[in-house]
Amino acid sequence: MSLKARRFSRARMAAAGLAAVALLATACGGSSAGGDANKDTLIVYTGQSGDWQLNFNPFSPTTLEGPGTIFEPLFFFNNIRDVEPRPRLGKSFEWNADGTQLDVELRDDAKWTDGQKFTAKDVVFTLDLITKNAAMNGTGYKGVATAVDDTHVSIKFAEPSYLEGPQVLGRIWMVPEHKWKDIATPATDVVKEPVGTGPFMLEEFKNQAFTLKANADYYAGAPALKKVRYLALSGNQSGEAALKQGQIDWQTGPVPDIANVEKNYPGYKAITIPMNQTALFTCSNAALGCQGPQTDVAVRKAIYYAINRTQINALAFENTSSDISPGSALVDRDKDQVSGKLKEKTAPMQPDEAKATQLLEAAGYTKGGDGVYAKDGKPLAMTLKVVAGWTDYITAVDTMAQQLQKVGIKVTAQQVSWNEWSDARGRGNFELLIDSTYQGPAPDPFYNASYFYSTATTAKVGEAANPNFSRFSNPEVDAALNALKGIDPEDDAARQPYFDTIQTRIEESIPYIPVLTGGTTSEYNAKKFTGWPTKEDLYAFPAVWSRPDHSEIFLKLKPAGQ
Amino acid sequence: MRYYARKFAFYLVALWAALTLNFFIPRLMPGNPVDILMAKLAQRGGTVDPSARRAYELLLGTNSGESLLSQYVSYLGNMFRGDLGISVSSFPTPVSEIIAGALPWTLMLVGIATFLSFVLGIVLGTLVGWRRGTWLDSLVPATTVLAAVPYFWLALILVAVLSSAWGWFPLQGGYDVILSPGWNADFIGSAIYYGTLPALTIVISSVGGWLLGMRNMMVSATAEDYVLTAKAKGLRDSRIMIKYAARNAVLPSVAGFAISLGFVVAGSIITEQVFSYPGIGSKLLQAVQNNDYALMQGIFLVITVAVLGANLVVDLLYAVIDPRTRVSG
Repeated sequence: MSLKARRFSRARMAAAGLAAVALLATACGGSSAGGDANKDTLIVYTGQSGDWQLNFNPFSPTTLEGPGTIFEPLFFFNNIRDVEPRPRLGKSFEWNADGTQLDVELRDDAKWTDGQKFTAKDVVFTLDLITKNAAMNGTGYKGVATAVDDTHVSIKFAEPSYLEGPQVLGRIWMVPEHKWKDIATPATDVVKEPVGTGPFMLEEFKNQAFTLKANADYYAGAPALKKVRYLALSGNQSGEAALKQGQIDWQTGPVPDIANVEKNYPGYKAITIPMNQTALFTCSNAALGCQGPQTDVAVRKAIYYAINRTQINALAFENTSSDISPGSALVDRDKDQVSGKLKEKTAPMQPDEAKATQLLEAAGYTKGGDGVYAKDGKPLAMTLKVVAGWTDYITAVDTMAQQLQKVGIKVTAQQVSWNEWSDARGRGNFELLIDSTYQGPAPDPFYNASYFYSTATTAKVGEAANPNFSRFSNPEVDAALNALKGIDPEDDAARQPYFDTIQTRIEESIPYIPVLTGGTTSEYNAKKFTGWPTKEDLYAFPAVWSRPDHSEIFLKLKPAGQ
Repeated sequence: MRYYARKFAFYLVALWAALTLNFFIPRLMPGNPVDILMAKLAQRGGTVDPSARRAYELLLGTNSGESLLSQYVSYLGNMFRGDLGISVSSFPTPVSEIIAGALPWTLMLVGIATFLSFVLGIVLGTLVGWRRGTWLDSLVPATTVLAAVPYFWLALILVAVLSSAWGWFPLQGGYDVILSPGWNADFIGSAIYYGTLPALTIVISSVGGWLLGMRNMMVSATAEDYVLTAKAKGLRDSRIMIKYAARNAVLPSVAGFAISLGFVVAGSIITEQVFSYPGIGSKLLQAVQNNDYALMQGIFLVITVAVLGANLVVDLLYAVIDPRTRVSG
């Protein structure tokens, strides 16, 4: 017995030794696998955390990829520069005089990747598909489409819908009728083998990575970029580590020491584009149930003047943010629409503490012994919610709390989980929170205003607002937004009075206290590929997750040396 | 026989209680999946039309207006049938498919690491306990310090040194993504290579516990009369150490090992996060961050069943090994 046992244990030891040797051998051999094989493959990281679950349905909110690359829209709207839409599957479009009918001419040389011809029937099928399946209608499309002939489609709307144009033309992805008509549940189908007209097609899918390859038969010629690989990592931190190792060629998100990306990551460059307005969202409307000192416009204005935007930009955002208009339009992109009637064209970068205290005192606040203002025995104290882990916002919030303390406003930062924060924001259970407002499908300040300042998109406290979280409601603004829907977006002179109304009303009330225009930063491998967008030639919004903008960039990229 | 019947009844009640908690705890969390999805898309895509909310509500079926009680009843029914539902965060993938994809990675990584750590701890503990009073004693504080160091910190240090600075190991992932998963040498080699560093961190941080426990049992076992007798017989030292002292001293550790195997399924959320490793821990994190009730329930269920199962096995084994436990006291 004992002899047998001993022999057995010796055998086991030998096996363990062998395993260790094998392990070392693979450790030495495995590392050089990458390198050359990836020479003309663009490797991107979209910020997705956790591995991929197959889903190439372009209408699904959890789609992995497709819009723009595999499935194309009719036109590409560059929502960062005020330029004409670039034709994709469409050639030209025209509205009738009152904005109720949209006529589109399609190109006649586009083909699905299975060889069939793309025609007007596919467009009508796609538009009918999302009308019939409300769960797929993420753009709120309400038109009726008919095919005039193979290359002409006419879409009728019940009311003037000029501003629906960019949604219909630029955000609805065309799918082939001959494939999709047999799908029983198109809203939830994962479209394992996507067939589109786009410049790229799915090469292979794995949970850790999937790869697109160039469509050799693309109507505008095969793209110079041959492959795009999407990696799955665990989050931004690992994205940064992968960037450091040169494992990814393009990611969007801040990295430490952004000013010196070219030095810290040899061969890489960074680009920062101001896009979303960082603001202190306030639950501003007492009539809809908001409570707290911030329902008083004097308090909101005092905060607006008391914060030191230069300091916040330096401490929290590495100076990647830029100035902000108090009237909701983007300073740079919308410069033609920013109202001349605004009292301040941009929010002051330096604090005006005298003005802040004067505003408070005029509103009946008196300074208490502890240096904090109070009214009717209630101190001017508010909580400010910020998502735990959003380090730049946390720094911004802490900086602001100190700045506001100086003028006698007590703001307590409260770090909460993402879930709790989004719940509080939706239901209006907050006094202040930090977030940013976003833009629409076209370079037009209308969209931001209609999303965040319209009565139609808000709700009483306790019900979910979507996305007018501040509960701002102003009949003049509503009327102006409504009027804009019926004016041709090309007619700047007719639109401007309404923009003036909207922006001045917003400036008077500032339900979202403007902080800065936040920059979106991307880091990309300029040594391996050329053709990236630059500040001078911003042909698409350079964020890797921005669909379909990324497909425009893929189309322009060339492996270096070609 | 009554002993076994009682045990099984107990485990059934425990399973029901766990299932009920699995159902209610996620629903106590603030927020709802649609708003989180919208917030996420807004943050990452920049443009989310308000109409999208209605579409996603319909799609995810979160606004059914069903009462909590009727949800609970249908939940129990679904669990009984093995239907874990559809994940919201990876819509429309079934939860069972996500778990099936993630579980093998965790089982292999954490399972092997736990086993290695156990074996290493027992062997070292035996030696240290046998040779107490020599320089080997310093292994005890050395390894317990490593166990006491916060795991994520240790892992990050190892990543910084071994991966970033020296480049011995890959930084993250489960395998080289160029390869296709399957039973081929390239893939398996790559998986082993990618798994070595995560496994190493787990072993380093957990070996101290096994070592300490084994060493202490060895110390008391060597004071037993049968060891003295063996020595008096003039047996070889190594034989006394392994066959007499260690064999008796290892019993409590074996029980502990069986239970820790149950927790292998729960994976190691931090390990998987630090190394971007595809496993059940990272899926659990994803579920919690997205209020993905179905996925959370599914993962909790798998963990519960694994822990209860491991306990049951230990209970039954003990009854076989040690008849005293079968007699009601």
